Amino acid sequence: MKMLSYDYVKCTGLSEAVDILAKEEQAYPYAGGTDLMVGMRGGKFAPKKLVDVKDLPELNVFEENDQGIIIGAAITLNQIACDDSIVKNIPILAEGSHSVGGYTIRNRATLAGNICNASPAADTAAPLYTLEALINIAGPDGNRSLPVEEFFTGPGQTALKKGELVQSIVIPRPFPAGKGVYSKASRTGSVDLATVGVAVQNWGEHVKIAVGAVAATPVRALSVEKAINEKGEKSSAEAAKLVHNDIAPITDIRGSREYRYHMVEVLVRRGLEQTMGV
Amino acid sequence: MSDKIKIKFTVNGDSEEREAVVGETLLKFIRDELNLTGTKSGCEIGECGACTVLLDGKPVNSCLVLAVELDGKELLTIEGLSKNGELDRLQQAFIDHAAFQCGYCTPGMIMAARSLLERNPNPNDSEINKALSGNLCRCGAYQEIRDAVKDSASK
Ligand SMILES: Cc1cc2nc3c(=O)[nH]c(=O)nc-3n(C[C@H](O)[C@H](O)[C@H](O)COP(=O)(O)OP(=O)(O)OC[C@H]3O[C@@H](n4cnc5c(N)ncnc54)[C@H](O)[C@@H]3O)c2cc1C
Ligand code: FES
Ligand code: FES
Repeated sequence: MKMLSYDYVKCTGLSEAVDILAKEEQAYPYAGGTDLMVGMRGGKFAPKKLVDVKDLPELNVFEENDQGIIIGAAITLNQIACDDSIVKNIPILAEGSHSVGGYTIRNRATLAGNICNASPAADTAAPLYTLEALINIAGPDGNRSLPVEEFFTGPGQTALKKGELVQSIVIPRPFPAGKGVYSKASRTGSVDLATVGVAVQNWGEHVKIAVGAVAATPVRALSVEKAINEKGEKSSAEAAKLVHNDIAPITDIRGSREYRYHMVEVLVRRGLEQTMGV
Repeated sequence: MSDKIKIKFTVNGDSEEREAVVGETLLKFIRDELNLTGTKSGCEIGECGACTVLLDGKPVNSCLVLAVELDGKELLTIEGLSKNGELDRLQQAFIDHAAFQCGYCTPGMIMAARSLLERNPNPNDSEINKALSGNLCRCGAYQEIRDAVKDSASK
């Protein structure tokens, strides 16, 4: 095995971490390492320094307040998947988190790492889109907050600037009144990335739908939403067909472009049946 | 760069102080520095579970953890399960059910199953399947593994 060469620093304060990330070249925040360690081995990342952010108190916040549910960037997917408030109020996020890898991976993998890695197939992304999550970012020029849809900018690319890191993810109030489901098609039905991932969230008066692994970033299925929310489309089969307007899938080892077009429509239809009763 | 960092930890109940090379995985450290070769190396990219150990009581893929992260933590490997030469219940159940052929996946399976039984002392088939979904057995002993876990749970 090739020995990788880089520095490692475990930070104890957020400002220290931001400082290092801002000043040093090729310094990467290191959370669960489940993408980083694999990526370094495959040559995708060549860090000079890993900045371990797991112990920063600011990133370990996990609470519910007036604004909503605040999930610090060091919180793992297992913590999220079995959190009482999340399971009760926003089960779609528990489902999305639970569908990442196996139990041992989720013990380390974080929600923030999943979105910062910015895979178009990231399983937590589509649920976060339908919940209109906010990403709190800390950086050398202070803090800012972005809607999750603006955070993803391309495959493996985010809106983060040099020196910035994700501090927390906020699921804002009010929480959705209706049911939400995340469904994933993958090759093995066990540990595998999504060939297609679909989140459908009923908000009581309207529906929000987001799909993953069928475009350069996760995307909202706005054509479907419009048909249902504005034009009163009652047939889930008819509405689901419109998802083809919102996506641009490619062929890769997980599935062909055609298969993705087909599966995304099927999963949107089923999601609508389960959540909207249409 | 092969910088070393001094780390303090406990392994299978014993306190240790060692130097870990930055950039080395916990898996390599366990096998080459601690000479605990029960923990196996399969894919080294988190896919197979052969390298599963318990870190502060939680199962992790040691190929995806840095050795330096062991500092201040408690490590349990397959070697830590038997007491005074007696196998623990789960190890014995694997033997009773012939839950392996080549045995390469077994240490990881047992560590992951042990953690499942701590969380859920009475798992059903589907809960066992889910909990062990990150552990692959190329010999295909899944049925026997499930039986061993259930049997051990019932005792
Ligand atoms: C076997 C296996 C199976 C997997 N299965 C799935 C799956 O089914 N679905 C899925 O979506 N993913 C899957 N993954 C990918 C991975 O587990 C997730 O993307 C995970 O959530 C990443 O989180 P992490 O904490 O491990 O990130 P890390 O590996 O620590 O970091 C990932 C990236 O994010 C950056 N980063 C981390 N934290 C921050 C922060 N706070 N601010 C800014 N940047 C940050 C890092 O620098 C790095 O670029 C799998 C991985 C493995 C190894
Ligand atoms: S060697 Fe670690 S998961 Fe395969
Ligand atoms: S017994 Fe051979 S890999 Fe499982």
